[in-house]
Amino acid sequence: MALLEIENLRVEIDTPLGPAAILDGIDIGLERGRSVGLVGESGCGKSMTALATMGLLPEQARASGAIRLDGQNLLDLSEEALCELRGRRISMIFQEPMTALNPVQSIGQQVAEGLRRHLKLGKSESERQAAVWMDRVGLPEARFPLSLYPHQLSGGQRQRVLIAAAMACGPELLIADEPTTALDVTIQAQVLDLIAELVESEGLALLLITHDLGVVAEMADAVAVMYSGRIVEAGPASDVFAELAHPYARGLFAAMPQAPGKESAAATRLATIPGRVPDPAERPPGCAFAPRCGHRSQACAQEPQRTAISDRHWVRCFHPQRGGLAP
Amino acid sequence: MATSSLRLALQQSRKSRAFLIGGLISGCILFVALLALVWTPHSVFQMAIGDRMQGPSWSHWLGTDQFGRDLLSMLMVGASNSIGVAVVAVGVGLAFGVPLGALAAAKRGWIDEVVMRFNDFAFAFPALLSAVMITAIFGPGGVNSIIAIGIFNIPVFARVTRGGALSLWQREYVLAARVAGKGGVRITIEHILPNIASLLIVQGTIQFALGILAEAGLSYLGLGTQPPLPSWGKMLAEAQTMLFLAPQLAILPGLAIVMAVLGLNLLGDGLRDLLDPRLRRAR
Amino acid sequence: MSVFLAKRGLALLVTLLVASIIVFLVMEVLPGDPALIILGTGAQDDTLAALRQQLGLDQPLFTRYLDWVGGLFTGQWGDSYTYGKPVMTLIGERVLVSLPLASMAIVLSTVIALPMGVAAAARHGRASDTAIMGFVQLGVAVPNFWFAMLLILLFAVNLGWVPAGGFAGWEEGAGPALASLLLPAIALALPQAAILARVTRSSVLEVMKEDYVRTARAKGLTRSQALWRHGVRNALIPVVTIMGLQFSFLLAGTIIIENVFYLPGLGRLMFQAIAQRDLVVVKDLVILLAAAVILVNFLVDLSYALLDPRLRLGGDGH
Repeated sequence: MALLEIENLRVEIDTPLGPAAILDGIDIGLERGRSVGLVGESGCGKSMTALATMGLLPEQARASGAIRLDGQNLLDLSEEALCELRGRRISMIFQEPMTALNPVQSIGQQVAEGLRRHLKLGKSESERQAAVWMDRVGLPEARFPLSLYPHQLSGGQRQRVLIAAAMACGPELLIADEPTTALDVTIQAQVLDLIAELVESEGLALLLITHDLGVVAEMADAVAVMYSGRIVEAGPASDVFAELAHPYARGLFAAMPQAPGKESAAATRLATIPGRVPDPAERPPGCAFAPRCGHRSQACAQEPQRTAISDRHWVRCFHPQRGGLAP
Repeated sequence: MATSSLRLALQQSRKSRAFLIGGLISGCILFVALLALVWTPHSVFQMAIGDRMQGPSWSHWLGTDQFGRDLLSMLMVGASNSIGVAVVAVGVGLAFGVPLGALAAAKRGWIDEVVMRFNDFAFAFPALLSAVMITAIFGPGGVNSIIAIGIFNIPVFARVTRGGALSLWQREYVLAARVAGKGGVRITIEHILPNIASLLIVQGTIQFALGILAEAGLSYLGLGTQPPLPSWGKMLAEAQTMLFLAPQLAILPGLAIVMAVLGLNLLGDGLRDLLDPRLRRAR
Repeated sequence: MSVFLAKRGLALLVTLLVASIIVFLVMEVLPGDPALIILGTGAQDDTLAALRQQLGLDQPLFTRYLDWVGGLFTGQWGDSYTYGKPVMTLIGERVLVSLPLASMAIVLSTVIALPMGVAAAARHGRASDTAIMGFVQLGVAVPNFWFAMLLILLFAVNLGWVPAGGFAGWEEGAGPALASLLLPAIALALPQAAILARVTRSSVLEVMKEDYVRTARAKGLTRSQALWRHGVRNALIPVVTIMGLQFSFLLAGTIIIENVFYLPGLGRLMFQAIAQRDLVVVKDLVILLAAAVILVNFLVDLSYALLDPRLRLGGDGH
């Protein structure tokens, strides 16, 4: 059985224009020790998916469907039960390392916090373990004593602290919501390498959320492309990248300034996708991408169902594009 | 930019209970205060010892005080007095504080430092204490209490103006205007001031409410509006000696003060909710 | 840390100096002739001349200023014209009333306001939050002297639990003395508590939205655990600022409250001195109170260093 099974997840919130479905039927499967990249632009609902999995949705949001961890639906669990899981079996790291650490507590305290809460370790034992993890993430105690405060570290270093804190109790699943977006490019590679190394050595399942196709191509075993609250294309990374079938996914790829496989990217203008992502409250019926799609037809007024492209690669589109992207 | 935000605010005003209730109460008090300038049921200077300390009756809706004066008329004139003093004091604060703050934000450098130190300093002196000092030296009276209270509105408005203006000077359209060669004064008038108008309006209602409280305090101590002109504070001071015999003399003026301040505070809160740009953007 | 302390210490001294200059100018120079003010316009010329000499008004301005400030340090604060006693003695007597009063008020307002503010923030949007905010709105709108009168009406006149005014004096024992300070302390504390509760609530609400609170919850802390372990200490920083500012309002409040309750404290002394035009007393009291406020603000600044390690240690900030 897959470690994480998200089935038909819907999340609604009330807006001045009426209830809006931020997530409109999300299906994601994640096996132990594997990684899934969830790709999409800002506002498509990727972070909401992560928050829903953690049970940290805002109060006004209502979730339905199923998020199964080892078969158990997290949406059915009480807040107390969820508190037991968070940090212990599922951990999450967020986008902004500069503000994600408490400025008045030492980094040691913040890494050890999970250990004390979940594993009930005493002060010195939890600090010892915290030091071990700090070392694992590349912040050895000799140069980075546990008594340091967050403001004494750089952004990349803070993100490493957050990773150590997330890993401290040995979770089975790590959700990383745009972990490198706010970091400098050179640091991004380092942090991603760290995450990849941890995935491999700890057998961690990883749900990596990003808007960067390039990152997904390097790190993920499977890909899911999101648009306006729905998954429009999904499958093993190799299959999906070999043949990006959904027009939106193709558009994303074409819009990348330097995508793998593109030649002389500097010489051409950046490709763009005309139009804007629709507001969830104003989503048109049928395919949400249709208004911006060059291949639309009458059929697109209906909601597209899953169409199989290959064994485990499917797409929601009436006009899936076949053949790989021209080099 | 400011007018469209005001129109939007009026449309959405129904959504803020604080604004509605506060506006209603403040409106009533303002109406009473204006009315009292032209008419009161009885003259407030007319003392009729024979009628003193009566309860409510047809000729005296709220009764009379220990000198036989009609309480309702006293309260009404007290309203004009309190509002008058507070409004002018806010005016003084705006007239001097806004230019100071705008100047500090526009010029930065040593001018900014000086204004900041002046502000810190003015905040360090307890406001009522210094108002008491000023009225002590220059004598009590309505005008002096206006000056004293007004002086303490200046650093408040200077700080609000400076804070708001500083963040606006960083905005792109201001930078564009500077590149286009517009001078600091023109930018301040055309771009900065209209956009901090909402901040000033909200702060203005707060200072207005505080002004009413300060005026009442000064009048209570005998340092504000002098008799025979009625003021709410003075009414309370006179009522204190009668606390055992006629508690209503103490209760009514106090209620008036509470209503006025409460109404203005709610109005200010409501305005802040409506004019807050963050809330507007998060539609 | 020591740089921080040194800078703040210097600012303290400079502010005190400027304060003394301003007080001196306002009280001695601005009115023109202090002797005239003290004695009134009907006074005889020779009485005026005698008083002027007694007050040292024939000396040059700078000398008078130095004499005054020097006197402040050596304990020679001058003699009160109306009371005929040295100002130091007067102040010494009165401080025994005002200081306990102010302390009680501060303790009361903090003990009431902080838990209320945190509770309101924790129950944000629910009925208890609205109720607390309603109380806050009322508390802020009520003039403290009127509230004092209401308290007297209820507790002294109707219930007779405490005296309606006057100070029992410490010689009678701590009990009666504190009892006579109880109502005044409550009257002083109320508006402060209301403001403090509001500030605490909004500060805690702000902090609850911070990313590090979300991180704490992602680690498995419950809402209230995240609030108490991560939120409160960060929320305290602006609250402490307001408490410092409130100290000056508290001092101003004592002027009024001591009058309402006929307490022989510094506030009442100030008021009587002003009524009697006793400028010597007023001048000394003003600088004393201003110095107290400035000192308290300095202590508040120091407390930031305790609460916020970013100030203690420097670093690249945020």
